[in-house]
Amino acid sequence: MRGLKKLLFRAGAPAGLPDDVRASLEAWRNSPPPDLSDLHFHTRYVVVDIVSSGLDPDKDSLLGIAASSIWQGAIQPDDSFYVDFSSRDGEGAAVDRQLMAFLLFAAKAPLVTYHVPYVGGFLQRAYKERLGLDFQPPWVDLAWLMPAMFEDKAHTVMPLDQWLEVFGLGGEEGRRDAMANTLLLGRIFQMLLVRAVGKQIDTAARLIDESRASSFLRRTH
Amino acid sequence: MDTQQQSGQEKVVGQVEMTLRQNGRSRMAGNTVAFLRNHAPFNKMQPDALQRFAEKAQIAFYPAGSEIIGPDAGNVRYFYLIESGKVQARQAGEVTVTEYSILSLGAGEGFPIGAVTAGRPSTNHYTAVDDTFCYQLPAEDFLALMASSPEFNLFCTQYIASLLDQSRRQLQLQFAQRASEQQTLNSPLLGIGARSPITVTPETPLRAALETMSQAGIGSLVIAGEDRKPVGVFTRTDLLDRVVLAQLPLTTPVSGAMTSNPFMLEEHATAYDAMFAMATHSIRHVLVTDIEGRLTGVVSERDLFSLQRVGLRQIRQSIDGARNVESLQHSAADVRQLAFNMLAQGIGSEQLTQFISALNDALTRRVLQLNLDNHRFDGIEWAWLAFGSEGRDEQTFSTDQDNGIVFVPPEGADVAELKQRFLAYALDVNKDLDRCGFPLCKGNIMASNPQWCLTLEEWKDQFARWIRVPHPDALLNATIFFDFRPLYGQAELAEAMRRHLLALTAATPVFLRAMAKNALDVEPPLGKIRDFLTDLEPDHPGKIDLKKYGSRIFVDVARIYALASGVHNTNSIQRLRLSAQRLNIRGDEINAVLDALNFIQLLRLQHQYLEGEPGKQGDNLIDPDKLNELDRRILKESFRQARKIQTRLKLDYQVN
Repeated sequence: MRGLKKLLFRAGAPAGLPDDVRASLEAWRNSPPPDLSDLHFHTRYVVVDIVSSGLDPDKDSLLGIAASSIWQGAIQPDDSFYVDFSSRDGEGAAVDRQLMAFLLFAAKAPLVTYHVPYVGGFLQRAYKERLGLDFQPPWVDLAWLMPAMFEDKAHTVMPLDQWLEVFGLGGEEGRRDAMANTLLLGRIFQMLLVRAVGKQIDTAARLIDESRASSFLRRTH
Repeated sequence: MDTQQQSGQEKVVGQVEMTLRQNGRSRMAGNTVAFLRNHAPFNKMQPDALQRFAEKAQIAFYPAGSEIIGPDAGNVRYFYLIESGKVQARQAGEVTVTEYSILSLGAGEGFPIGAVTAGRPSTNHYTAVDDTFCYQLPAEDFLALMASSPEFNLFCTQYIASLLDQSRRQLQLQFAQRASEQQTLNSPLLGIGARSPITVTPETPLRAALETMSQAGIGSLVIAGEDRKPVGVFTRTDLLDRVVLAQLPLTTPVSGAMTSNPFMLEEHATAYDAMFAMATHSIRHVLVTDIEGRLTGVVSERDLFSLQRVGLRQIRQSIDGARNVESLQHSAADVRQLAFNMLAQGIGSEQLTQFISALNDALTRRVLQLNLDNHRFDGIEWAWLAFGSEGRDEQTFSTDQDNGIVFVPPEGADVAELKQRFLAYALDVNKDLDRCGFPLCKGNIMASNPQWCLTLEEWKDQFARWIRVPHPDALLNATIFFDFRPLYGQAELAEAMRRHLLALTAATPVFLRAMAKNALDVEPPLGKIRDFLTDLEPDHPGKIDLKKYGSRIFVDVARIYALASGVHNTNSIQRLRLSAQRLNIRGDEINAVLDALNFIQLLRLQHQYLEGEPGKQGDNLIDPDKLNELDRRILKESFRQARKIQTRLKLDYQVN
């Protein structure tokens, strides 16, 4: 059964997938991943945040994705992405295309977010269910990397809002929309990159490794 | 699946992606717009302009201590707007040129406006003092925004203008220092006039008091008590009115004849205060006291006059009352001195050059009048004309004579004979003007040259020939002779010439086009790699001729637009202002041009005054490397304005 599923996924996707999405997906699969051994400055990072109906990726649903790229040391508003799924439940093909559009936007760039199990979990389930894709992008998890890079500020994983407070980025109280959140993540990530370079973590590949290591170390020790 | 179908289908996902990217862009921009709305000048900008800014402005982080942009980073690629944090601007180089050497910038402040506008490297180092986030708008989007948003344009233009202003103030400071080395009306009374003046007590008999005056050879006497506090003044006038005519016996105490309650000033008051007091109270002496009210000195009208050797009114009076060329020579020197003082007091170049022109006009008129004693032109209509910079009211301190005569021979008169008489007169005048410091014109554009001593009809014909056949020589002449102004005699003759000229140019568009082409022969000395081209004058390597490659460009353009729009004025600033109105050139645009012209003129004045050797003819050659950083920047901006107005001329007259 497990083998059959794998076979199905590799072959493409669920049978109901529109042809254009299927073709796009195929093209995306065959596109070369970016070179992660380049310096941060030359690497296009995609900062992403999601909106969901709850906190459980297995039960709750993905309602939106907000993303923007960081490239050449700056957040690029010109290279941003926002999708709202909440109004479109039921209309399958449209959602498939929107999910596919995000893949095209991200273009296999390393994704930056706060708390990968949450964000990644929702994205993974959505891509698996809708496009039959095992979505495993290179992740940079700020939740784990922040205490590793800013040891002088905190030793443990803490909620995003606390970091915002540490850096005086919080601004106004109350709910932020997903894009405002992405922007804040982008800003924190820019600060983090400065620290990372100071620790000789000067390429995307090393940063991704560091992200994995820090989450592993902190979870297991 | 065939390829056509496939590409058609992919477009569907592609379109969705484009839409979602657009969603992302506008959501992202929304955050930036919210920030911009809280800061000037953005809060005044139209929503679509804000949206454009926000969609293009990247956000970058600069940790404390890092340099954001500096002179070595090459041409500035972004306009930076501080979102949060603090940035320090520090001038490159050792000389402090603006009022600040270090300036702190905070949220909502942008930089480097001048450099990004001009597309050149920043002259300041901008360093993040705290952790700083900046919006950075790519230069091309910045320029597009300037072009499309009047509010943003105004903000940037005003900012650059404020740099001009700062530089001007800096210049004035230099002059003020120069001027303070000399005595001026700002000097305290402490150092002026007689110290320890002779006094007598109020009880002193008149005879003794008069003897004291006679022995000391003084015309007035201070009456003071034992404590040296003055109680009165006794002068020769008092002697006549109150002693001789009143038949007062000479045994009477001096207090009976003195003027009581003399006007006194404390010794830290200025010469100006004393002068003001004399003028308002009609007195000729002011007693100077220390803080306790004890007499320490006397300042007389004459003391002040010698101090204020150069006062506008006095110069005018001495010019108008001059009986010979020798006294006019003194006045000419005074004009220069006064001009210098005015420069020190912060008069702008526009007013200053007009002021110099006004006094030089008075001087020239007096020379003309004095020479009329030997030459008689009774019953003949004539006028003395000034050409070139004199004709434009734009004289700097070293200006050649450019003049001519227009006359109307009476019916039946022998024109040739009359012309000879005018030429003889003009020769005397030209020589006298030379002695007063207006050098003879090297190109012999002088009234004593038969070519430029013409009847009204001859002038009209001359103008017509130049305009109908615009040979290079004719065009060159046009740049000199079309800037004419009557200095003496019948001004109507000059007006008649002007009307004729404007009618001719209006009827001959090809002439203005030829003028435009000619005016575009010389370009501002802006380098492609270096800031300035300094090798244009083979005899003066490393220098820029500020007249030839600077002010003349503006002057030439001003002349063409004035002729094109029927402006009667000859002054370039007025010509540009008035023709801009008639030709619908935007106010802020023309103001930037005028600022640039004024700055170049001010630099010329500064150069001729501060760097010229006294008594030596100053030139217009400056070494840009010797300018301070800010002046260099502004000079570059000014040349850019010259280029801008040339480009406009090029478009207007379709010159390639």
